[in-house]
Amino acid sequence: MNIFQNYYVRKSKNIIFLSLIIIFAWLTFSDLVDGDWGSLENSFSNISIFFQESLWPPDWSVIEPQIYPICTEYPPFDFKCSTAWIGMTETLKIAFVSTIFGMLISLPISLLAARNLNPFWISYPARILLAFLRSLPSIIWAILFVILIGFGPVSGTLAMTFYTVGYLGKLQYESIEGISRDPLDAADVMGLNKIEKSLTVVIPESANNLISQLIFMFEYNVRHGTVIGIVGAGGIGYYINLYLKFLQYDKVIAYLIIIFIVVIVIDLISIYARSYFNEKGDINPPSWLGVFIPHNILSKIKNK
Amino acid sequence: MFFIINTKENIPLINIQNVIIGYDIKEPLIEINDFKVFPGEIVVLTGPSGAGKTTLLKTIAGLVKPISGTITVCEKITPFNPKRGELGYIPQSLGLVRHASVMHNVMIGANAGHKPIWTPFPSNTAKKHAMDAIFAMGLDTFKFKIIRKLSGGQQRRVATARTLAQQPRLILADEFLSELDEETKEIVQSKVLEYIHQKTSTLLVVEHDIMRAKEMCDRLFIIKNGKISEINEKDILEEE
Repeated sequence: MNIFQNYYVRKSKNIIFLSLIIIFAWLTFSDLVDGDWGSLENSFSNISIFFQESLWPPDWSVIEPQIYPICTEYPPFDFKCSTAWIGMTETLKIAFVSTIFGMLISLPISLLAARNLNPFWISYPARILLAFLRSLPSIIWAILFVILIGFGPVSGTLAMTFYTVGYLGKLQYESIEGISRDPLDAADVMGLNKIEKSLTVVIPESANNLISQLIFMFEYNVRHGTVIGIVGAGGIGYYINLYLKFLQYDKVIAYLIIIFIVVIVIDLISIYARSYFNEKGDINPPSWLGVFIPHNILSKIKNK
Repeated sequence: MFFIINTKENIPLINIQNVIIGYDIKEPLIEINDFKVFPGEIVVLTGPSGAGKTTLLKTIAGLVKPISGTITVCEKITPFNPKRGELGYIPQSLGLVRHASVMHNVMIGANAGHKPIWTPFPSNTAKKHAMDAIFAMGLDTFKFKIIRKLSGGQQRRVATARTLAQQPRLILADEFLSELDEETKEIVQSKVLEYIHQKTSTLLVVEHDIMRAKEMCDRLFIIKNGKISEINEKDILEEE
């Protein structure tokens, strides 16, 4: 009886604690609203007016070839001369290059930052460096590089690379710290040096996580690469910013729909690719159809 | 006139004098007054679970600091950085790189034993020893298979192959024969003992099975109630 009493007391304590957190969050929100609840009341009608008058229907001229420079592609491939295609491919290129460059720089730093491989006087400076690179959002890095280098995708690539080093580095050292102690002990007893230990034990042992994080980082960089163009660092964000300035919101919504579709596709490919780099993936990697169709529906189709 | 002949064989490879072993000073596991292992010897440690056998092995390997006193292993005093390739270690949990292949794991040992630190690629000797160890352990049919896809027994053979490929002076093995079927146990045991006799290497094993321990060892020690003591044939019968 006593055991059950203790169980329910503990459970009710958890519920009270959670309720207090929710009440505190609501009180903080009320403080932020500062008594101006009227602004929230009109928000739904505002968005509906804005949507009907300015956003919808989207202006799909953004996927038509530009008048200047003259398009050298023939139909049906002339969409390659459209601003949407040029912007989106540039964003993808920035994301790809910055992910690879970022990984090449972040991996050695994260090996130094891992506390299970190095003493604190090596790991902490490396962690501080990664924290510094991560503390500035990619858009701030983009502003800095636009000032340093000028407008264009090179600034965007460098900005995204810096942010990738900070963000990916943190993910990497956390997964390195999570590896089992036993292979490291065996390597220590065998007398392997730090470089050998990193190359032959640490990286292979955490490879699945490292690859999975790399794919996630690419997906993340594609999403964020759309934003940095707003400050002139290349990519589709440049065109979004341009049409926002001219108040052509119907074109902006067309770009946003394109970004949404591309991000969803990359997200799905990322899920599929990452499934090969976890232990569950060894047993049952999903089929390509499985990425797009829910498992239960797919199994019914297959059974028929 | 008497001469004291001090050959290398007379110098103990492991020398523990007045040492207290454990993780916590308040709860010492074993107190050792005198424990020596000489080159070419096969010594087995046995005892009930929780007696501190694995901790003793880890302390000798330099992974755990003794609470008090110093231990000499391969002419070096602990805490030490082991000389490259001199010590081979088969931990209870094997310490294999689970996401890499059998070949990769065996090559780690071979490189530690036969590749100089400054060369980027494995030497031919390292490759030869790795292949020899893979064949000796019967792993040749799945040498490119990933470790996590192997059975427990197969993984244990990989850990043994890694140590054989390394060709160390001293092998520290923690229950390296468990999880193996009788036939494989015989093969693995005979290959390891063959290596020890050929190279005058030394083997210090933790083994639960007292009959098997008696079968393979030169000397058998039991760890009980915080003390380590050598036991003979009569004691073994009593223990059983």
